[in-house]
Amino acid sequence: MNRINPLYVGLLLVLFVVFLAFRLGSVKNDLVEAKEEYAKTSKLAVNLSSLKSTYADRKKLQNSLRRILALSTVRQANITKNEKKSSVKLSSQSMDKKALNVLMGKVLNGTYNITSMKIKRLSKERVSFKMEIKW
Amino acid sequence: MNFKAKHQTIFLDPNSQVTLSLQAKEKLNVVLSPSLYWVQKVSLPVKYVRDVKKLLPSLFEDILPEGSYSYSAYKSNDEFYIFAYEDKVILDTLTKQGVNVALVANVYFAQSELGDISQSKIVTQDESLYLKDGLLTMVPRSWVDSSETLNLKDIELSKHSITLQQFGHIVDNKSLYKIAAVVLVISLLILSEYIITSQKVSDIQDAKEKLFAKYKLKSTMFQNEAMFKKYNFIHKKQVNLRETVAIILGLKLNTDEKISILELKNARLNVVFSGVSKGQEQYIKKALKLKGLSFKDSFKADSWHVEIAL
Repeated sequence: MNRINPLYVGLLLVLFVVFLAFRLGSVKNDLVEAKEEYAKTSKLAVNLSSLKSTYADRKKLQNSLRRILALSTVRQANITKNEKKSSVKLSSQSMDKKALNVLMGKVLNGTYNITSMKIKRLSKERVSFKMEIKW
Repeated sequence: MNFKAKHQTIFLDPNSQVTLSLQAKEKLNVVLSPSLYWVQKVSLPVKYVRDVKKLLPSLFEDILPEGSYSYSAYKSNDEFYIFAYEDKVILDTLTKQGVNVALVANVYFAQSELGDISQSKIVTQDESLYLKDGLLTMVPRSWVDSSETLNLKDIELSKHSITLQQFGHIVDNKSLYKIAAVVLVISLLILSEYIITSQKVSDIQDAKEKLFAKYKLKSTMFQNEAMFKKYNFIHKKQVNLRETVAIILGLKLNTDEKISILELKNARLNVVFSGVSKGQEQYIKKALKLKGLSFKDSFKADSWHVEIAL
């Protein structure tokens, strides 16, 4: 005769549903957070990858710089190239302004990380030139 | 050997004036007076009691007054004894007569336990139990010749006990099952959505791991964010350098004014102008300010030095 009050059973069932609903709410929050985190990571990954390939891809930068220095106008300027693991130094004691224009046009339009530079006017037609590029 | 505990048996009748005095923890069996139930003896073209139970509400439909009834039946020979009773009425009678409901072991109908009495039995001061056409009824004591008082002491109880629905008046079993079914369906829906959502979270985490592998990211977001800050800083500086150099080279100088040195050092762009006399530099300064450059300037010998912060 000691039977459980159905109201207690009902309350237990309601508590069970509330518990499940609470767990669902929690996992839905996890989903929103996971989506936001993914979007943030995705954006960061694309931007970081793009910046790295622009400023830190040594081989790519070395090749493009080699192509610039191989241009006939620039080659005639006898530019000295001192290449290290993480940087390259370009210098010329005296070069004509036409070669400087071509070189600077190409370098400044490219995506090089220029850390130092000095261009000194020697005469109307000639300049001395120093530049350091890092990657 | 009989392992079944022997409990005291009482006869429960709503018209009994006697209040039972029982020890608090003593279990007891209850035999219900015919005043507490409706009974019919029927012959039906079915074999089993379970088939009869489905028909009980309709069999009593036209007899019973308004109320919340439970039904029971048992088979004796080829006939069925069918019962209808109100749980709440029985429970109220038990309480009224001082019986703790929690101590009731089993409840029986007088019909099943006393249906074989040979003569009428005195139950109360005014009533007797009387057997007619195989059915027990309560009749006024004056109607029948009763000499024996009902004695339940040595009675052998049958297996036809019933379980009282203590909360049947709050919610009946059918409603309870319906509510439970609805709650179960809701629970299943929530559970399935929980599983689907958990799977989505897991898929996104997998996709994130693939993203790390594809873009060769460092293991922690902290490291990646630090790297991004570093390269973004370089990018801004380089864009700034190019814009500043473009402004400097785009200046419209007088014929005898020249840029003699253009130097980038420690994130500063130094420009030395030759042929610019004191006071003549104002138009250049104005042009630089118009372009939004912040700079310091000074004259050394015959040249004008400008230092621009990048």
